[in-house]
Amino acid sequence: MTRSRMNTTARQQRNTAWALTAPALILMCVILLIPVVIATYLSFTNYALGNPGYDMVGTQNYEKLLTRSSYARMFTATFTYVVVVVPLSVGLGLGAALLINSLTHLRDVYKTIYFLPVMATLIAMAIAWEFMLHPTIGVINRTLETGCGTLIESLWPWLAYHCQNGMPLWLGDKRYAIWVICFVGIWQGFGFNMVLYLAGLTSVHRELYHAAEIDGVRSGWERFRLVTWPALGPTTVFVITISCIRAFQVFDTIEAFYPIGAGPGKSAYVMMFAIYEKGVKQNLVGMGAAITVLFLLFVMMITLAQRWFVERRVHY
Amino acid sequence: MTRDLWKHLLLILGALVVIAPFYTMVSYSFKSPGEIDRGEGGFFGSQQMMIDSHCVTLRDPNRADIAQAADRFPGQDANSIRLALRAEAEADCAMRPIVFNYTQAFTQAPLLRYLMNGVIVTASIFLIQIIVALPAAYALAKLKFWGRDFVFSLVLFCLLIPVHAIALPLYIMLAKTGLTNSYAALVIPWTISVFGIFLMRQFFMTVPDDLVDAARMDGLSEFAIVWRVMLPTAVPALMAFAIFSIVAHWNDYFWPRVVVTGNRDLFTPPLGLREFKGGGDGSMFGPMMASATIIVTPLIVAFLIAQRRFIDGITLSGMK
Amino acid sequence: MANLHIDQIAKSFGQTQVLRGVSLHIEDGEFISLVGPSGCGKSTLLRIIAGLESQDSGDIQINNTSMAGTRAADRNLSMVFQSYALYPHLSVGENIAVPLRMRQLNTLQRLPLIGPLMPGARAARTAIQQAVTQAATTLEIDALLNRKPGQLSGGQRQRVALGRALVRDPAAFLLDEPLSNLDAKLRVQTRTEIAELHRRLGATFVYVTHDQVEAMTMSSRIAVMMSGEILQCGAPDVVYDDPDDIRVAEFIGSPKINILPATLQAQGQIHLLDTPLQLFTRKPHDSVQIGLRPEMIELAPAEAPAHDTRYAQLTGTLAHLENLGSELYAQIEVPGLPRRLILRAAPRQRSALHMGAPVALRFDTTQALIFDGVGKRVRHLLHAPDASWRQAS
Repeated sequence: MTRSRMNTTARQQRNTAWALTAPALILMCVILLIPVVIATYLSFTNYALGNPGYDMVGTQNYEKLLTRSSYARMFTATFTYVVVVVPLSVGLGLGAALLINSLTHLRDVYKTIYFLPVMATLIAMAIAWEFMLHPTIGVINRTLETGCGTLIESLWPWLAYHCQNGMPLWLGDKRYAIWVICFVGIWQGFGFNMVLYLAGLTSVHRELYHAAEIDGVRSGWERFRLVTWPALGPTTVFVITISCIRAFQVFDTIEAFYPIGAGPGKSAYVMMFAIYEKGVKQNLVGMGAAITVLFLLFVMMITLAQRWFVERRVHY
Repeated sequence: MTRDLWKHLLLILGALVVIAPFYTMVSYSFKSPGEIDRGEGGFFGSQQMMIDSHCVTLRDPNRADIAQAADRFPGQDANSIRLALRAEAEADCAMRPIVFNYTQAFTQAPLLRYLMNGVIVTASIFLIQIIVALPAAYALAKLKFWGRDFVFSLVLFCLLIPVHAIALPLYIMLAKTGLTNSYAALVIPWTISVFGIFLMRQFFMTVPDDLVDAARMDGLSEFAIVWRVMLPTAVPALMAFAIFSIVAHWNDYFWPRVVVTGNRDLFTPPLGLREFKGGGDGSMFGPMMASATIIVTPLIVAFLIAQRRFIDGITLSGMK
Repeated sequence: MANLHIDQIAKSFGQTQVLRGVSLHIEDGEFISLVGPSGCGKSTLLRIIAGLESQDSGDIQINNTSMAGTRAADRNLSMVFQSYALYPHLSVGENIAVPLRMRQLNTLQRLPLIGPLMPGARAARTAIQQAVTQAATTLEIDALLNRKPGQLSGGQRQRVALGRALVRDPAAFLLDEPLSNLDAKLRVQTRTEIAELHRRLGATFVYVTHDQVEAMTMSSRIAVMMSGEILQCGAPDVVYDDPDDIRVAEFIGSPKINILPATLQAQGQIHLLDTPLQLFTRKPHDSVQIGLRPEMIELAPAEAPAHDTRYAQLTGTLAHLENLGSELYAQIEVPGLPRRLILRAAPRQRSALHMGAPVALRFDTTQALIFDGVGKRVRHLLHAPDASWRQAS
C-alpha cells in the first residue's frame, strides 16, 4: 500500500467519524454546554422574560443567595434532605441486599416488591402518601389512634401527647414536614440501591468466603469486613454518588405536597423548587440562574469526587 | 428456614411499608367517597350502588321536561311528575363506585390524551436518543480519528451536567425561540443522552474489531455498519438503555411542569394527575386515585412481566 | 503435622450422588493426589475435609480426632484455591497475614487505628510480621509484599496463595487445582516447586487435580476417583503399572492405553482376533479386554524367532505418525480392531515406518493387562491351561 493511499483511507475514516459524531456533538453543545454558559451569564444579570432589556448586576444575585434568610432556609432544606436521605437509602439498600442475598426462599419476591417504588411515577405515589398522611382520614393517624388508651400509650410519651392534643398534621407541621419528605425520598430510592448492591454481591467471588473461613474468620461481621465490604467498594462509591445527585434534584414530592410555598415555613424549600419558583414562576431569571450555577457546582463536585475515588482504588 | 425467620420478618415489615401507598392508591380507586371518608370497606369497598350527584343535577327536570313527560305519567300533577323524573335520573345515575371512579378518571380530564402524549413523548425521546447516540458511540469506540480523545472527554464532562439542573436556561432558550408549549419543548432537551453515548461506547468496545473489519471486507459503508452490524449486536445494551430512558421520561414531572403551561392538550400523565389534584375536592379522591393507578400501571405491569430485564437494565445503566 | 482419616464419606446434591462412601487414610507427611475427571467428586471431597461442605454421612478425623461439628475455621487446615482467592483490597503482606491476624489477635486488636494500641497487640503484630516475612522469603515473593493482588501475574498470585497457606503451621495443606490457571510452562515449573516445598516442610498435602501428569509427578500416593468413588489408591508407579480397573488404566497414562477386545475360549484361553494367546484365566468370564500401554507394543524385529510364545503378533498399516522429537507415536490400523493402536517408538525406528505401509507388531503377553467384561482387572493369569479349569467346566 502506498503512502498516499494510506492517507486517503485515513482521511476518509476521519471524515466519516466526524460525520457520525456531528449530530451528537452539536446537540451536546446546544443542549448541555451553551445552557451552562447562559446560566452563568444570566446569574450576573437581572434578566426577565418579556422585559425589553436587562442590566448587569454583578454578584448581587449571589450576595442575596448567601445573605437572605429564605435562601438560608433553601440550603438547610436541601442539605437536610441530602444528609438524611443518602445515608439512609444507601444503608437500607445495603441492608436489604445483604438480607435478601442470604436467603434461599422468596428472594425474587422481596426484590420485586422493593423495586416497585423505583418504577412508579413519583408524583402519583406522593399523592398516595399524602392520603395516608392525611390528618383525619389517613391510615397512619387512624392506626396511631387505635393505640390510644392502650398499654402502648403509657409506654410511648409521644403518642400519649398526641392522643391528648390531636394527631399530628404530618404535612402541615413545620416540625414534621421535611422529615416526611425525606421519608418518601428514602422509600422511593432504597430499592434502586438495593438492586445495585445485589448486583455487586453477585460479583463477590464465592471462594473468597471459603478462603476467609479457612483463614479463621468466624463471625459474620468479620466476614463482612474482610470480604463483602471491600468487594462492594466500587458499588458503594457509585451508589452514594447517584443517591446524592438524585437527592439534590428532589422536586416531585414537594410540588405534590405543597403546590405553593414549599411547605410550612418554607421548611421544604429545596434548590430545584427554588429554581422553578424564582426562575420560571416569578420570572426572576437572574436569581434562578444563580441558584442553577450553585447547584451545578455541587453536582459536579460530587461526581468529580466519585471519579477520584474510583481511580484511586483500582484493584483487579 | 427457622434460622432465617427473623430475616423474613424484617423483610416482610419492610415490604409492608413499601407496598402501603400502592395499596392505598388502588384501594381508594375502588371505593366510594363515603367509604374513603370513614375509612371502611377493606380493600375493595362494599361496591354498593352510589348516586353520582353531579349527574343527577345535570338532569334536573325543568318545566319543558315535565310537560314533555306528562303523557308518560297520565293523571299526575307536575310535582309528582317532577319527583318521578328525578327518581328516574337517580336510577340512571347510580353506579358501582369502581365504575364511577374509573369513568370519572377518563371523563373529568382527557386522560386518554395524556396517556397518548406520554407515549408520543417517551417514544420520540428514545428513538432520537438512539439515532444520535449510536453512530457517535460507534465512532468513539471503533474509529481512529484526530480529535477522538477530545470528543470523548467532552462526553465525560457532559455526564456531569444533569438536564434538570439546567432547566432554567433551556426554558429561556425555548421561550426565546417560541417553542414552549409544544411537543418539541418536551422532547428537545432529552434528544442528546450523553449517558447513552457512554454506555453504548463501552458496549461497542467489547465487540471484536474483527466483526467490523469483516463487514468492511463485505463492502459495507460505515453508516451501514452502524445500523446493520452494530445495532443488532447491541440489542442487550439497547434494551437496558430503553428501560432506563422510558422509565425516566414516562415518570418525569419536573421538565413538563416547567415547559408546558396551561395547554392541556400537551399534558403528560404526571402533569394531568397534578392538575386533577389541584382542581379536585374531597369527593374526587376516588377518581384521582383511579387516574394515578392508570398512569402507574403500564410500567409496573411491564416490570412484573419482564422483571429480570428491568432490574438488569437499571443495574447495567448503573454500572458505568 | 497430622494424619487424616476419611471414613465412608457420602454426599448428594439433590438427586445426584456425588460421593458414595469414600474412605481414605492419609499418613502424616504424605502427598496425596485426588485425581479424576471433572465431576468425579474430588473437589467436593476436599471441601468436606476442609469443612466448607458438610457430608451426608461418614466421618473425617484429623490426628485421630473426629471433626464432626467442627467448623472449617477451627480445623487448622490451610487451603490453596483454584482462583487463589486473594483479598483484592489487601496488599500481598496483609493477605499472607490474615490467617495469623484472625487467630492470634482478638477482635479489639484487629480494629483499624486503635487496634495497635490494645494491650499485647504490639508484640503479636511484630510476631505476625516476622512470620509473613519468613513465608515470603521461602517463596521468593518478599519484593512483592506491598503490591496489591491486581498488580501481580498469575504465577505470583499463586505464590501468594501458597504463602497464605504456609504462614501458619497447619495440620495439613489442601490444594484445589492450584495450577490450573497457569500457563503450561509455568505449570511445569511450579509443579517442581510445590513438590520440593512438600519435601522441605514434611507436611501432609492433599492435592486435587484433573491432570494425571501433575498427580504422577508430585505425589507419594494417587487416589483415582471416578463417579464418586476411589477406584484405586497407590503409589504412582503402582497405579500406572498395575491398575485395578480399566477406568484407572485409561485415565492414567498419556497417550491413552490401548484397549483390545478379546474372547475367552475353551480352558480359559484368551483369543485376540481369533488367534489364541498363550494366556489363560483361572475362572470363566463373559468377555475380556486386553490393555496395552503404548510402550508395551513394539515393532516386530525382522530376525525375531517365529515361535516365541511369549509374544503375540499383530499386523496393520501405519495410519498416522506423530513426531515429538524424543519419541514417536505411531497410530496403526489393525484389521478387526475397532480403534487404532498407538505405540511408542524410538526416533531411530523412523526409517521402518512408512505411511500406509504394513507394519508387523508384537507385544509381550506376560505384561499385558487383562480386564473382565465390566472392567475389573483379571489377575493370576496362567501361561498354560489350569488343571482345575477342566474340572470346573
